[in-house]
Amino acid sequence: MALTRRNLLKSTGAAGAALLTVPGALKGFDQFFRPASSLSATATKVTTCCGICSPACGMQATVQDGVIQFLEGLPGDAHGEGHLCGKGAAGAGFLYDPDRLKYPMKRTNPNKGFDEDPGWVRISWTEALDTIAGKMKGYIDAYGAESLLFITLPGPDLLVRLINAMGIVNRTDHIDVCFQTDRIIQKYTTGGKTWCNDFENAKYILLFGWDMVSKAKIVYANGVVKARSNGAKVVHFSPTYTATSRMSSEWQNIKPGTDLAVALAMINVIVSENLYNKEFVDAYSNFGQYEAQIRSHFAEYTPAWAETESGVAAADIARIAREFAQSGGGIVPAHKKTLCANYMNSTQLVHAVSILNILAGTVDRAGGRYFPRTVAIPGVDAVYPPPAYPAKKGARVDGRDKLPFVQETDSGLFSTLADGMLTKYPGQIKMAFWNAYTILAFPNPPKMEQAMKSVEFVVAMDFLPTDTVSMADIVLPSAMYLELNDVVARDYQAKYPQAMPRVAVSAPIFETKSAGYVAIELGKRLCPDYFKLADGSWINPNVLLDEKVKRAGLGENFAEFKAKGIVEKPAPFVPRTTFATGDPNGKCQVYVPQFAAKGAEALPKWHPKREQPSADFPLYYLTFIPGIHRRNTSENNRILHEIMPTNAAILNPALAKTMNIKEGQTVVIRSRVGQIELPAHLSEIIRPDAVMVAHGFGHRSRYLSVAGGNGSRDGDVVPDASIDDFIAAGNYGGASCIMDVVCNIAPVA
Amino acid sequence: METYGWLLDQKRCVECRACESACKQWNHVEIGVGVRYRQVRVYEMGVFPKVSMQALSGSCHHCEGAYCIKVCPVKAISRRPEDGTVQIDQSKCVGCQQCYAFCPYAAPQFNQRTHKMEKCTMCVDRIDAGLQPACATLCPTGALQWGKWSDISEVGSATTGNFANPKQTAPHIRFINDPYPGK
Repeated sequence: MALTRRNLLKSTGAAGAALLTVPGALKGFDQFFRPASSLSATATKVTTCCGICSPACGMQATVQDGVIQFLEGLPGDAHGEGHLCGKGAAGAGFLYDPDRLKYPMKRTNPNKGFDEDPGWVRISWTEALDTIAGKMKGYIDAYGAESLLFITLPGPDLLVRLINAMGIVNRTDHIDVCFQTDRIIQKYTTGGKTWCNDFENAKYILLFGWDMVSKAKIVYANGVVKARSNGAKVVHFSPTYTATSRMSSEWQNIKPGTDLAVALAMINVIVSENLYNKEFVDAYSNFGQYEAQIRSHFAEYTPAWAETESGVAAADIARIAREFAQSGGGIVPAHKKTLCANYMNSTQLVHAVSILNILAGTVDRAGGRYFPRTVAIPGVDAVYPPPAYPAKKGARVDGRDKLPFVQETDSGLFSTLADGMLTKYPGQIKMAFWNAYTILAFPNPPKMEQAMKSVEFVVAMDFLPTDTVSMADIVLPSAMYLELNDVVARDYQAKYPQAMPRVAVSAPIFETKSAGYVAIELGKRLCPDYFKLADGSWINPNVLLDEKVKRAGLGENFAEFKAKGIVEKPAPFVPRTTFATGDPNGKCQVYVPQFAAKGAEALPKWHPKREQPSADFPLYYLTFIPGIHRRNTSENNRILHEIMPTNAAILNPALAKTMNIKEGQTVVIRSRVGQIELPAHLSEIIRPDAVMVAHGFGHRSRYLSVAGGNGSRDGDVVPDASIDDFIAAGNYGGASCIMDVVCNIAPVA
Repeated sequence: METYGWLLDQKRCVECRACESACKQWNHVEIGVGVRYRQVRVYEMGVFPKVSMQALSGSCHHCEGAYCIKVCPVKAISRRPEDGTVQIDQSKCVGCQQCYAFCPYAAPQFNQRTHKMEKCTMCVDRIDAGLQPACATLCPTGALQWGKWSDISEVGSATTGNFANPKQTAPHIRFINDPYPGK
């Protein structure tokens, strides 16, 4: 018998046993990290999905007496493929974090700062909500709705309804430091969200800074592993050797921020040598219509030129371009922070990447980037149509309204928010409502702290006492994903529609509530017409969820859906033949006339990154998100903390030698905006002209007993931006430049 | 007696540490006392830009010739009769760390609170319930597998880079060292 994972499972009878016996088990909130009594036969398994990141891998929770004992993957699920990553497996470490926010609180010390004791006083939910509603009304009456800022994802839908009902123009989120550029480019080049990657059927995978293997996004990592197992070639362009490089056939150590040059040169080779997939390109793209412009545009971007910019040999660029185009199944993924957001030229890079996929002829084809086939889940506005929303008035403090293509996405700009609040529109924002974001998420966090201090009244809703919470006037304790019911449509590995219930595996601990609850309660106080149904009753979130499930065809109600566990609607994959890009003939757009019409680039031009090494700052500064942590939210999780407790300044031994820096010695990293101190870690994985720091550490909150004061904030040396900087640089996709930094380092005496 | 072992295909390891998290979760391994039953160790090799890395997920390998059993002065370490897994009896352990000193794989761990040694049990409670150990259950890419030693012992290689000579203790782990197919 061949020794495969499946056979091992079979041979050991491992699948299926539902009732477990464990010697040591946690008893509850205070007992979680201590060995306790045994797990009895009353343990049950609940099917749900992970809430750490957006693929929402299928998950099974073993629960006894309301306490989660174990989290594991859901067999047969197309996303996690029956497994979880290290973060997902540590989910109980979030739920049972002893530092969790437990009750609403108000500040009694008016002085704000990490060195100030806020003087928290426990208050009731009623007092908290009355206070917030009163403040919102007061500021809107006195200064207009543009004086309110909501820092939250566009979810839950109930919160968005409140924001719309109050005519609040300033809602912003982190999408600019993630995938915003890709979203804009895909809208106009392929006509939608092609972030599904059919790696397992790909023949050739080109990765420009894409590092999802190292980030342990297992839905992607598994795809790359399968691709390699199937014999596909994988080429990784990255200034550091990462787990993704290790998983690749070839690693090219590229000069930071020059991937665009290589991508442009590859288009040059593929177009000038007519190596593109003629059948697809002629039938499904506007290449033919703009052929003269396209050929002429890319003519100057030769491999020899790209070598001078990127340090990648011209011969390698030409070879890889030819191999990619002739492989018959080339794919260049883009989705997520790495590549989409890092440099001032990331919008152009993502456009070039999209063109490479079109030239390979794999858009929505086997082995390519495809559109998710999803279950449509109606939002609250579809279930309960609201009265007309008032027009939103006033300036966007993040300047989004100055970037027309970003404005269309309804996402925000973290990188320009502080500058807008302090410089361009000082004093406009009187009140800020933070939902599940921390200051660490921003480039140049000290400037964001300053911006926060300029706001009169701050509300922070979170599950942990984050840095943002430290600066708040009212704190609302949030339920987390293991305490909430929801319906999740899958869109990462979605060749056919799939939906999963997210189940409240644990009852909410202490007085935690959902953001949807807060929205309804504030709605009752501020804009009742939007939260009242025709019969005069208030919107009930449980009834709303039942209605969503029913209308999406997932079951009669949530309880029935929950009992099913996962609903899949298998259907043959029918490749798209028309693409909603705005092209009158429904084709993919290599040349994007809509960009040109609004002053942007119809075809991507070369732009150098924003910051170049100089005498004062001779080194590139790189950041990364470790695979065992989730952005800046998991560092206080005891399990994950023990695996990776802090960060370091990672530098090449050759560089360290020139500066007489030894392993473990404290160094200071300085850029034009700030400095941080960290112990040096010498490593051969990084170029000698760069320094690298892990993101997510350096929380200041004194209430985070594990993460607080641990490590340094990578963002303190990352310059933020003004919206005018972006406009001047042609950054029409609003790429946030979170790695577009140069620095120097010195040993600390 | 049916015995069990590990099979590690390092090229599939994406360093996600699901094995570590799962182990801590299932076994309620105490936090903050310096104990990690399983650990993914990443080794760098070469000099930039000719650099490569190796990720080795390791735990107790429940060796046939386990030094820990031989060197324990109070006979706290023994084999479970049902499957030969190597277990530490917490009631007997005096925390002298001899087992740690002799183990080629640094498997026994000193609990800084209890001042006793702990290590991977191979999740024998899960084995008894018809399940795989937590680490292999969670591993998303199939890099870490577990099964009957009779199925594994002839598969792949007995050793790999950065792994102590298996002739010392006959560990129950094998390695698939083959690279991916193609270029």
